[in-house]
Amino acid sequence: MSKIPELRIGDLVARLPIIQGGMGVGISLSGLASAVANAGGIGVISSVGLGMLNNRSQQTYKEDNKLALRREIRKARKLTDGIIGLNIMVATSDFSDMVRIALEEKIDILFLGAGLPLKLPAGITAVDIMKANTKIVPIISSERAANLIFKTWDKHFSYIPDAVVVEGPLAGGHLGFKPEQINNPEYSLENIIPTVCSALEKYEEKYKKKIPVIAAGGVYTGADINKFLNLGASGVQMGTRFVATKECDADIKFKKQYINCKKEDIVIIQSPVGMPGRAIINDFLKDVKAGIKKPFSCPWKCLKTCDFKTSLYCIANALLKAKIGELANGFSFAGANAWRVDKIISVKELLDSLVQEFKAAVSSQKPALVNYSL
Amino acid sequence: MDVTAKVKEIIVDELGVDENEVTMDANFIEDLGADSLDTVELIMKFEEEFDIDIEDEEAEKLTTVGKAIEFLKEKLN
Repeated sequence: MSKIPELRIGDLVARLPIIQGGMGVGISLSGLASAVANAGGIGVISSVGLGMLNNRSQQTYKEDNKLALRREIRKARKLTDGIIGLNIMVATSDFSDMVRIALEEKIDILFLGAGLPLKLPAGITAVDIMKANTKIVPIISSERAANLIFKTWDKHFSYIPDAVVVEGPLAGGHLGFKPEQINNPEYSLENIIPTVCSALEKYEEKYKKKIPVIAAGGVYTGADINKFLNLGASGVQMGTRFVATKECDADIKFKKQYINCKKEDIVIIQSPVGMPGRAIINDFLKDVKAGIKKPFSCPWKCLKTCDFKTSLYCIANALLKAKIGELANGFSFAGANAWRVDKIISVKELLDSLVQEFKAAVSSQKPALVNYSL
Repeated sequence: MDVTAKVKEIIVDELGVDENEVTMDANFIEDLGADSLDTVELIMKFEEEFDIDIEDEEAEKLTTVGKAIEFLKEKLN
């Protein structure tokens, strides 16, 4: 029986080609990330809003964020010897601080999404990244974004990222697409993956290294994994499936929404940060849609792009409330396939089932290959 | 060098718009239909063509054709 391939990013080797996507606020912390790493995948902590989880006061948010990030990375390290990544949103106002601390803590991989990571934060150089032996992995949604990032890094730093995650339009949370592109087949992940793979070829040649492309957004089964590996991806990133695990760091009420939601409950919203996002509809979102204001104060403006003066609610606060199970005061992001979730299992059970499905998918496509070779 | 003509030429090329649309008041996003990646590409093209560096803080202010031309003229002097 064929084996599922491992995933190599530079000198890092994950036994399974599966990355657990960073999910904020507080959905993937050290608990989930370490469980995934222990089971052979790559576990990812989400850095967004960490300071809100143990916030002392509104004035100390930025300091709390730094403390909480360091604590969370160290906690994960105690729980696993596996590969731990950190997801940082480029659009957050303390992006530089988060990157600096992650490098000090020698995080294995930095996933940089929600904005184009075109430049390194002030005071951080390619040498710092190499010293920490941290892999840099931008999260993008198009070949154009891949070209822009690699061209800029090549030109300014003579250094390029180590892999890319390509997040297609079926992902949960904020999406790197215009609303009208989301259902347009031209922008499907299946179409984007091969274009990104070929765009990166010239950089692979120039830097004499493999730049793995990771497929994300709507990947649900082992057969999906096989499909994207066949299209040129070296691995997949999955979020939704990991929410419905025992180890996921969200409240059980958050997870139960995934189990209880129907296909029509998964909707596209316009987020205050200026991007569309995919979420599970609930009374909170219905109120917002009807124009009802959810009062909040914003002393720190956590996202550079947030239109907090005209927004009806604070998205960071709404997501935090959902994380702790207060769904009347918030809502949950979710991938397009979240309605298919029907039970909560352990991370190990989930990964075992994905590997089995992958193997079954590979053997079922074999006869065709044999016929061709004959 | 005629900076104005060169800038207009780059904008027509990069955004695929008609020359007549590229007026001084035209906003890249609202009037010329640029998306967030277009604006980054445009700035990179200015940097290449005029052999200068444009900081993020400067780039954010270049929202219209006129502002871009004015900025580049100053920078090149």
